[in-house]
Amino acid sequence: MNIPHLTFQDLLPVAPAGVLVVGAIVLLLSEVFLSTAQRTYQAVIGTLTALLAGAVAMNNAFEPARAALQGYVVLDPFSQWMTVLVCLGTALASLLSAGFLNHRNAERGEFYALILFSAAGMSLLAMSAEFITLFINLEVLSISTYALTAFLRRGPRPAEAGFKYFILGAFSASLLLYGAALLYGATGSTRFLDVGLALPQAFAQQPGLVYAGFGLVLAGFAFKVAAVPFHMWTPDVYEGAPTPVTALMSAGVKAAAVVALVRTFLFLVKGLSPEVPFIAFSALALLSMVGGNLLALPQRNVKRMLAYSSIAHAGYLLLGVAALFAPATAKGSDAVGLFTATPLLGSMPNVAASVYKGLLFYLLGYTVTALGAFGTIAALERREDETRSNTWDLERFAGLAQRKPGWAAAMAAFMLSLGGVPPTVGFLGKLYLFGAAVDAGLLGLAVAGVLASVAGVYVYLRVVVYMYMRPAPADAPAPFRHWTTEVALIASAVAVVALGVLPGPVTEWFSRAGMVFGS
Amino acid sequence: MSAEQVLFWVFAVATVVAAGGVILARNPIACAMSLVATFFFLAGIYVLLWAHTIAAVQVLVYAGAIMVLFLFVLMLMSLSDQGPVMTFSAWRIAGVVAVVTVLAALVLVFRRLPAQESLAWSGDAARLGDFGTIKHLGAVMYTQWLFPFEAVSLLLLVAIVGAVVVAKARV
Amino acid sequence: MESPLTPYVPVAIVLFLAGAMAAAIPFIAGLLGPRSPSAVKSEIFEGGNPPIGSARQRFAVKFYVVALLFIVFDVEAVFLYPWAVNFQQLGWFGYATMAVFAATLVVALVYVWKKGALSWES
Repeated sequence: MNIPHLTFQDLLPVAPAGVLVVGAIVLLLSEVFLSTAQRTYQAVIGTLTALLAGAVAMNNAFEPARAALQGYVVLDPFSQWMTVLVCLGTALASLLSAGFLNHRNAERGEFYALILFSAAGMSLLAMSAEFITLFINLEVLSISTYALTAFLRRGPRPAEAGFKYFILGAFSASLLLYGAALLYGATGSTRFLDVGLALPQAFAQQPGLVYAGFGLVLAGFAFKVAAVPFHMWTPDVYEGAPTPVTALMSAGVKAAAVVALVRTFLFLVKGLSPEVPFIAFSALALLSMVGGNLLALPQRNVKRMLAYSSIAHAGYLLLGVAALFAPATAKGSDAVGLFTATPLLGSMPNVAASVYKGLLFYLLGYTVTALGAFGTIAALERREDETRSNTWDLERFAGLAQRKPGWAAAMAAFMLSLGGVPPTVGFLGKLYLFGAAVDAGLLGLAVAGVLASVAGVYVYLRVVVYMYMRPAPADAPAPFRHWTTEVALIASAVAVVALGVLPGPVTEWFSRAGMVFGS
Repeated sequence: MSAEQVLFWVFAVATVVAAGGVILARNPIACAMSLVATFFFLAGIYVLLWAHTIAAVQVLVYAGAIMVLFLFVLMLMSLSDQGPVMTFSAWRIAGVVAVVTVLAALVLVFRRLPAQESLAWSGDAARLGDFGTIKHLGAVMYTQWLFPFEAVSLLLLVAIVGAVVVAKARV
Repeated sequence: MESPLTPYVPVAIVLFLAGAMAAAIPFIAGLLGPRSPSAVKSEIFEGGNPPIGSARQRFAVKFYVVALLFIVFDVEAVFLYPWAVNFQQLGWFGYATMAVFAATLVVALVYVWKKGALSWES
């Protein structure tokens, strides 16, 4: 029997996920063994665990790229930086949840434990390099988010959202699994590396099988990323889920799924022309950018509007993914480049490196912005409003600037950042990402993206107009006060502005992330 | 015809008959019991294909645990004796079209398969070795597939917590 | 081992005997037992009380949680099976492997137990 030889080095990439799982177990056990009425400590444990995991991942991000744990996972800066972003989002979501759940008398250790479990799933998903591992980690992530969506079961909306998310999520996961099975049938392996090596021959013999496998895997990912035309579930689920969970879904799930998508297809197209995935990604990106922004236009419900906005942001991310597979990117990297097996630091093709940097910076900006925006909405929700249809109506934001100038200023910053208006991080993220796309030769797509986001600016500015130029209605809600919510929102707002003005150190770190295992 | 071929036909016909019972029986409990029978006969076919582990899992998990869940769902619903009223809707036509299409595709694929008569049963056994046995699976799963295996325990933990949170916790 | 079915001969014998018993006993009982039917005897017997309403009632959702947990722990048992078959060869490494796996599920069991998801009342 071959007993594998595992070293400490093998455990490095999964260390952040390990920290998150241990923290989640501590929370689970604290919930059943400690019975104090005051449960804010759970949010603090959740936040500290996420920050610790983020620190571990940041340390890993400076390691050279390599495969680990018998090749089931890879350690590379891209996945580790993505883990840092996921942990940042998890920490903010934990803090936001404390006030939100406290207000509803629903603080439970399981909630934070599930948040940490889903973060562990995201981190592991981002580094998976084999289909079975990928599927298991995707399910860890998905099942914890299904349960979180249905966590507040009192109203009909959470139940409906949880049910829809579960059914459609299970459906999309089975599409992905089916695609993986077809590729396994065509190539005889589930490891991305071996699949990629065997694909040229399989493609020559059975092109239909390979296309079907590609298509099903892509559709499975597109569901998770919420790209048009696989976006139907998004508005209902995002609206019905507890608002901090929505924030985590829109930022974290998307980030992890994008990384997994990039990694899977980088390996898969290794021996093939990247043209087909390039066309597919471009189409998804265009549809999502245009569709998300146009669908957001008529929404008066701010939470629903942000759900459509997250579809649009998925489109911008897919623009970056398309840029990675663009012919120009591949051409510029003939020697050590995108479609060869050995990555070398410093000789990375510039285009691909700048796309990776753009993707990471964009996701960083979107994480802090989305968490902040959903967090502000969460703070303005009242428990007694949950059955009313106008809980998240624009009217609720009217006159916020007079009543609570600090909150209005923070929300304005988040809205401007979502719209990509300087001097916020959202502007710089779009600048880097669209710039990289233009470098990759995707001028048309980038122009379409800019035009679509101009339509989006109208949507976001309307919220700002309501806050600053409309009188407050008589029954305007005051945000509830809880120190955790305020810490999270201040942190997000400061990050949105500070990263928009001084991106230097972070972009310096991210520029190393161009070194991606498998590229 | 060898004993295996006889048994294959026994299992195959029985599977189809039992599967027909699942969709044709009026009483939901009878449907569920037909499903158990389907699972058992399928397990027999898996054994004939040397997939011993899958056969065991089929009986343990599907015919055991999953069926328990099915029966509980049936008991959760208020069952009355009358079945659903047969309606003639567009969905029904679409369903028939889909079934016929899939059936036609399967028949087409099946007819294009090369003749497999050269693969005698004993030849198969020699070719496969202990592939598909529980022993072989175990030897590979706990050593070469270590990480996915441990990840499954995390998945099961998350599933338990999720189930309890959604179905049990008082929030 | 020429046929995949060889190890299943004992299983087939057990199945056959079980089926034969189940078929034979009611038949023999009907053949040998004396019969004197009456109206009272053919009534539905339900714990001595007259039966009320339909037997097909809805069950409480708590049964469902038990069924869900049963599935998950049953899947765990499936993973134990190939491990037990290979226990000798896997040695201490295999022991550690399964210890990590089982420890994770012990956490789940402790959580479920303390949470009260297994308790019948409440």
